[in-house]
Amino acid sequence: MQISRRKFMQLTGATAAGLTVSRLGFDLTPIKAHAQMLKTQYAKETTTICCYCAVGCGAIVHTSKQGDGRVINIEGDPDHVINRGSLCSKGASLRQLVENENRLTEPMYRAPHAKEWRTVSWDWALEQIAQRIKATRDTSFEAKNSKGQVVNRTRAIASVGSAALDNEECWTYQALLRSLGLVYIEHQARI
Amino acid sequence: MTNHWIDIQNSDCILIMGSNAAENHPVSFKYVAAAQQKGATLISVDPRFTRTSSKADIYAPLRSGTDIAFLGGMIKYILDNKLYHEEYVAEYTNASFIVKKSYSFKNGLFSGYEKTPEGPGLGKYDKSQWGFETDANGVPKMDPSLAHRRSVFQLLKTHFKRYTPAVVSKITGTPEADLLKVYKAYCATGKRGQAGTIMYAMGWTQHTTGTQNIRTMAIIQLLLGNMGVAGGGVNALRGESNVQGSTDHCLLWHIWPGYLKTPRASNVDLAAYNGKWTPKSSDLLSANWWQNYPKYSVSLLKSFFGGDATAANDFGYSWLPKVDDDKGYSWFDLFDAMYKKQVKGFLAWGQNPACSGSNAGKNREAMANLEWMVNVNLFDNETGSFWKGPGMDPAKIATEVFMLPAAAFAEKEGSVTNSGRWMQWRYQGPKPLGNSRPDGDIILELGHKIKAAYAGSGVFPEPIRALKWDYATDHAFDAHKVAKEINGYFTKDVTIKDKLYKAGTLVPSFAFLQADGSTSSGNWLYCNSYTEKGNMAARRGQKDAVNGIGLYPEFSWCWPVNRRILYNRASVDAKGQPWDAKDWVIRFAGNKADGKWTSRKWLGDVPDGGWYPLANPDGSRREDARYAFIMRKHGHAQIYGPGRADGPFPEHYEPLECPVEKNFLNPQMVNPTAALYTTDADSYATCDPRYPYVASTYRVTEHWQTGLMTRTQPWLLEMHPQMFVELSPELAELKGIQNGERVMVSSARGKVECSAVVSKRLTPFKVGGLTVHQVGLPWHYGWRWPASGNEESANLLTPPAGDPNTRIPETKAFMVNVAKL
Amino acid sequence: MAYAFLIDTTLCTACRGCQVACKQWHDLPAETTSNRGSFQNPADLSFGTYKLVRMREKVIDKRLQWLFFPDQCRHCIEAPCLETAGDPSAIYQDGDTGAILYTAETRNLLTTEIIESCPYYIPRAADDGTLAKCDMCNDRVHNGLKPACVTTCPTGSMQFGERDEILTLADRHLQMAKKRYPKASLLDPDDVNVIYLVAYPPDLYHEFAVAAAGRSDMTRQMALRKMVRPLVHLGSRLV
Repeated sequence: MQISRRKFMQLTGATAAGLTVSRLGFDLTPIKAHAQMLKTQYAKETTTICCYCAVGCGAIVHTSKQGDGRVINIEGDPDHVINRGSLCSKGASLRQLVENENRLTEPMYRAPHAKEWRTVSWDWALEQIAQRIKATRDTSFEAKNSKGQVVNRTRAIASVGSAALDNEECWTYQALLRSLGLVYIEHQARI
Repeated sequence: MTNHWIDIQNSDCILIMGSNAAENHPVSFKYVAAAQQKGATLISVDPRFTRTSSKADIYAPLRSGTDIAFLGGMIKYILDNKLYHEEYVAEYTNASFIVKKSYSFKNGLFSGYEKTPEGPGLGKYDKSQWGFETDANGVPKMDPSLAHRRSVFQLLKTHFKRYTPAVVSKITGTPEADLLKVYKAYCATGKRGQAGTIMYAMGWTQHTTGTQNIRTMAIIQLLLGNMGVAGGGVNALRGESNVQGSTDHCLLWHIWPGYLKTPRASNVDLAAYNGKWTPKSSDLLSANWWQNYPKYSVSLLKSFFGGDATAANDFGYSWLPKVDDDKGYSWFDLFDAMYKKQVKGFLAWGQNPACSGSNAGKNREAMANLEWMVNVNLFDNETGSFWKGPGMDPAKIATEVFMLPAAAFAEKEGSVTNSGRWMQWRYQGPKPLGNSRPDGDIILELGHKIKAAYAGSGVFPEPIRALKWDYATDHAFDAHKVAKEINGYFTKDVTIKDKLYKAGTLVPSFAFLQADGSTSSGNWLYCNSYTEKGNMAARRGQKDAVNGIGLYPEFSWCWPVNRRILYNRASVDAKGQPWDAKDWVIRFAGNKADGKWTSRKWLGDVPDGGWYPLANPDGSRREDARYAFIMRKHGHAQIYGPGRADGPFPEHYEPLECPVEKNFLNPQMVNPTAALYTTDADSYATCDPRYPYVASTYRVTEHWQTGLMTRTQPWLLEMHPQMFVELSPELAELKGIQNGERVMVSSARGKVECSAVVSKRLTPFKVGGLTVHQVGLPWHYGWRWPASGNEESANLLTPPAGDPNTRIPETKAFMVNVAKL
Repeated sequence: MAYAFLIDTTLCTACRGCQVACKQWHDLPAETTSNRGSFQNPADLSFGTYKLVRMREKVIDKRLQWLFFPDQCRHCIEAPCLETAGDPSAIYQDGDTGAILYTAETRNLLTTEIIESCPYYIPRAADDGTLAKCDMCNDRVHNGLKPACVTTCPTGSMQFGERDEILTLADRHLQMAKKRYPKASLLDPDDVNVIYLVAYPPDLYHEFAVAAAGRSDMTRQMALRKMVRPLVHLGSRLV
């Protein structure tokens, strides 16, 4: 990923890191370490598009190359021709969406009548879901409707979502649903 | 959007109505502010004074659910004062078409109405009574003078004659002076070279008259000549980062990718299907672009089933599900069926219907009827955990729930399409958090497991086995492979216009798609997005159009075929010369000789078809030209829309739940075709003293949709920590409510505790001599987050009724009570 | 070289991107708040909130106005807090940027005195007495980036640059604003490096929108200094 052009401000006599502090001759320990080097300096930079409204603002994601490889900063992309670096409060908060302790990180399963979730493996969860889909589809499949017209569908499985998926995911998802014979296919555009 | 975000800067008058752009699309205000600085007028029409209103030159309040009355008055103002763009109206719209004698409008009903006791619709129309008079070839008769008694133009005048400022004001509660201020400012854009734009959103769609709200504005835009021009258009501000793309790829019951129709049961085979949905026109001047329908449908079937889709098996047409003719399977219908225990399994993928659906309490109850549910999301939500939500007893709920953790947007690669139709590529930053996975990987793996399950036995396994499913690279979902599938490729060597395209070559654009199976394309509208030239959506070119109108044609990619402003053939006169000499979008620059065009050349944006202009420089008409509105069968924009479920012209009806006992424009109280649901969980109450106040739901900048992706974030929760209701000081005094105290808001469906925000930004309306109070509620909350569990969804209050065309719910106008706790 | 901000409130839509961008860049925690009957939240600046969009509803000339005021440290040219502290290990001015910067040593100052010395009532103390406020994103500025709040502002309400350029820009914005708001004015442009443009009398926006001359906090020494301030700062206004 290359950023074509970064609109830096013209700084007269750009300061070397730490110069201001040393010149004063004091041991200045700021409240939060205000090292004169940017925290994003050695991070991986990728461009993205904000996940909230549909203005489609560009943002730059700074991902740490060290440690856990997590996001250390997300801010507006100054080279994006729509937002030119700007982001609203939601956009400015994108990092907290990604790096959020409330996020789900493991597949979970709730058994009938259970009061709690239990963590399960991906393989188990997807296998079980595939079996549920097959069982429900096969018992509910309508080859013909009440008028005797061929319909080849199931109305016992429904899907909602999602405008939160990428285009490629949306397309793949609808292809799967339609191959299964679903007709109850809806998402955010309806509400 | 017919136009796009940056284009707002080109406008001379911006009407923000049915949306609150400053709050819900904040970066759009970069361009609103830019237009204002160049002298544009900003108008805000909203029941509440919002952050948008705070920046407006003119603010006018209106009671929720009365937009057609407000805008109908504007149509009358335009016609009475002859402010319409006459040349544009006569040339490009169906104003000149002659309507059949069987059309009529009496007592609030159009001709052909019948009450239908069955189904969610209150009634339905026989739309054939609204058609046009045609010649022997089926081409509508036209009167370019617009004087014919039954011309659309004259019928329009008659229809809106009743919408006087006095009557409109009586309905909307907008003072007459404010109405006229808005009409005057906006209608000034009817002048040649002036452009007015509308920025609307759910404030217009979420009504039982939603489609007609937008139709009313479309009529205004056509009368003023604002379609196709820079700074104009009808601009739906879409609310989610990829709701445009997910709509284009049709995660919706009624359409297939690229807005093809979901086949009806009566479309018994591919020929019948294509025959039914391919419009035919004998008018040589009509491009009738949808005549290409079979090329797109067959190419789509090829993308579904690859080599297994052959001419011999109708390209797999019969493998795909059919819906019953005249039945609906929309959101409302889906949850209605679930409530009635007809749905057993449910996939909630990146959506939170326990909070997002109108009358969400019914959805929550319906979920308890499921055998199983799959919930895919970034966060635990009120849907996946419905079984332990308020009022639920887990011990009594047998539903199995699978909760799958999805990766966040920045953790995967792929594209999203913004409201301006720009398809933009995003890259992977960090890896997915913990054990979360990108949705694409989950879908792909689930598909493999389902295919494996059907490898042996199963009911009707053919479509599942035949489904093309080769979208992985190194066992991971490969967005590039799917993007290429969507664009499409040649399935065999094909020679088109003397050029050979080898099998496997990506199709350059949809003009190359074929109906014989020699091309595959997952979505014809996106054909041209990922070609042999590369991934067009990833482009970052900074070059603007020569006249600096903000097209940026080399930045990302936009459907269709990178056309940045739709209907741009209407931005020029019949000779191909722009109405606006400065902010022109396209212009014809072919050679001419003896007063005739002799070669074809368009400058500017990708034109809506590259044909010659309708007229030569000397004014003579050309036979090799095409009308401007190429997607319409007859080539003209529809001031008269005979295809809508509720009438060819808009008419004001009251919301299902309203504060008045009378419709002041006609004897028909509510939209006679509104969709209405009637289980015991679908109560409603109109003019009921228990629920005396009008309510509307909306969003705020700091939260988003059901709030799942914002109320889980401390920085955003800090700014709007609790569910609230906004009410006027007058209503607060009436109810003895102090600012900031907790109150109970209730409707016929449910109740929600809120913090009271008492604000002068809300004022009571005078409606037909009565004082009507209106309150506002954000729909961003739910019991799962914040952790207190005290903040609930406004959709527990919203009604079980929707627009007859779209079945989008009427969450913008319903009745509630507000009381101290 | 001193840098300055222009905050043109006539363009502010209170999207509060600045409020969050500040927290994002500085890794500041969110506060636990409640809905107090206002969109403005948190209620005030704090040790963890350097930037706050103040929101007020006022009827002016019979028209309702919703006034937004993105409040922050003004980075005074002659900063009373710095003078009051008299301890450059705690409060100092970055000569390269003009930023007034607080360090952890502020905990050893007389907290109340410093806060009261501020004519705009900006600094806030932690429980241990350490003071905090806007630092002009000094790290970003040193590396050629604009402060986080300015970068994120959608409408151009917030601008940042060399002081001379900002003064010129401020005049241009003022002329533009006066067409719609005849009483528009710049607030204390000669004294501060964060210059606000307001459409209406400043007290309608916020009690401390302009330097509160009446605040008892300004030390006698500071008041004197203000009076004899060298003309060089005024000179820059004449460019």
